[in-house]
Amino acid sequence: MGRGPYEKSGLLRETSIPPLARVHKTFEITYPFKDVKKGTASRRELLEDELTVSVVLWYLPFGEFDGNETVFFEQEKDLDLKTEWIWR
Amino acid sequence: MRNYWTIALTCIAASTLGLYNAYGAGGPKPTPLPKAKTIAELAERYDSSKCLECHEDVHDEWSESLHAKSILGTPRTAPTIITAIEKGLKLFPYSGVKEDADITVEHLMMCMKCHLPQLDEATDEVAREIVATIRNWQQANRDQDYTKAKKLEKTIASLNIGCMVCHNKLALIHKYADGYPQADTIYGANEGDHEDENYPKMAVAPALGEAIFCGQCHGQGPNFELDHPSQCATAYGSYLFAYVAHGGSDTCQECHMKKSGLGHDMQSYRDDTMIEMALDVNVEGRSLFWRKNRQEGVLPIGIINVELYNKSGHGIPDG
Repeated sequence: MGRGPYEKSGLLRETSIPPLARVHKTFEITYPFKDVKKGTASRRELLEDELTVSVVLWYLPFGEFDGNETVFFEQEKDLDLKTEWIWR
Repeated sequence: MRNYWTIALTCIAASTLGLYNAYGAGGPKPTPLPKAKTIAELAERYDSSKCLECHEDVHDEWSESLHAKSILGTPRTAPTIITAIEKGLKLFPYSGVKEDADITVEHLMMCMKCHLPQLDEATDEVAREIVATIRNWQQANRDQDYTKAKKLEKTIASLNIGCMVCHNKLALIHKYADGYPQADTIYGANEGDHEDENYPKMAVAPALGEAIFCGQCHGQGPNFELDHPSQCATAYGSYLFAYVAHGGSDTCQECHMKKSGLGHDMQSYRDDTMIEMALDVNVEGRSLFWRKNRQEGVLPIGIINVELYNKSGHGIPDG
């Protein structure tokens, strides 16, 4: 409940997680890189091959960060590209 | 043969009588008490401190929950009531409310049906006194007169979902079968004598441990019985039509009182135990080079996959 009754006119749209249901979300985060000119060609160089991603699940009772927000979950995930294919 | 039929008919009559007595121990619809004329009078009628002497542990648990301050809230409920008046009642052309002086119990039931069901035992003056008290509390905070604000906050919090709301007023749901709650009886899990001069009896409330009991307020959506249905709570509807419909069988009480270990300190999203019980979150990550499109070409990306599984008996969030 985060909206007063005057704003509500029914379940217009499912924005909750239904019971016994799974919800998936995928996030893509680009590693820092830069395009470097080498003669007439351009080559991409990786600036960082490691990322530490902080995953935080917030519940925003009023739909925004207003002091009422609650953290439901948080975890840090380490990613790296060390073993991946290197740009040519 | 005759004796056989006599015995058989006697057994059938006895079992029928037994079934009749298996219904709840309410009684005829009682004569309503005179309506409370002030907040103090209504609060006194439903004052949970009367139960403190014998039920200290349960009382202390309850006092930590939002039931103990159902119209004050965290305290965002009280301001929301004012918003419902300013942005709702006063703007609806047919509500009859232009000023606070026009507010009646019927108008406030849009909120109080769940937040303070006992308001139906009060006069319209009490409805207006509640609104005035909340406004004065807000003003005291704006004026930084925190002593006054604290006192008014206590007045607002004195009206709440206390012991007598669940264990008397709303105890019996199917009144045609189980009878109406009686003024001298506390309804719970036991029957017999109750050591209290005002409530000398105990009786069983058949649905007290069932989800339908909580569903009386934590509802199924719009309250269509009101002239202007409001809809804050849909947890019971979500419970019935999504959770039970997909095979769930735990009751509200089993999770929010027993498995959580919180007892009468019923909590929700602000409590770590309830969050842990309600949600499984699984995070996986990997990295790869990905050709996004012709323009951007091959990009090095990290991929984070988040899976949320709602283990609870209703949609999250809900109320």
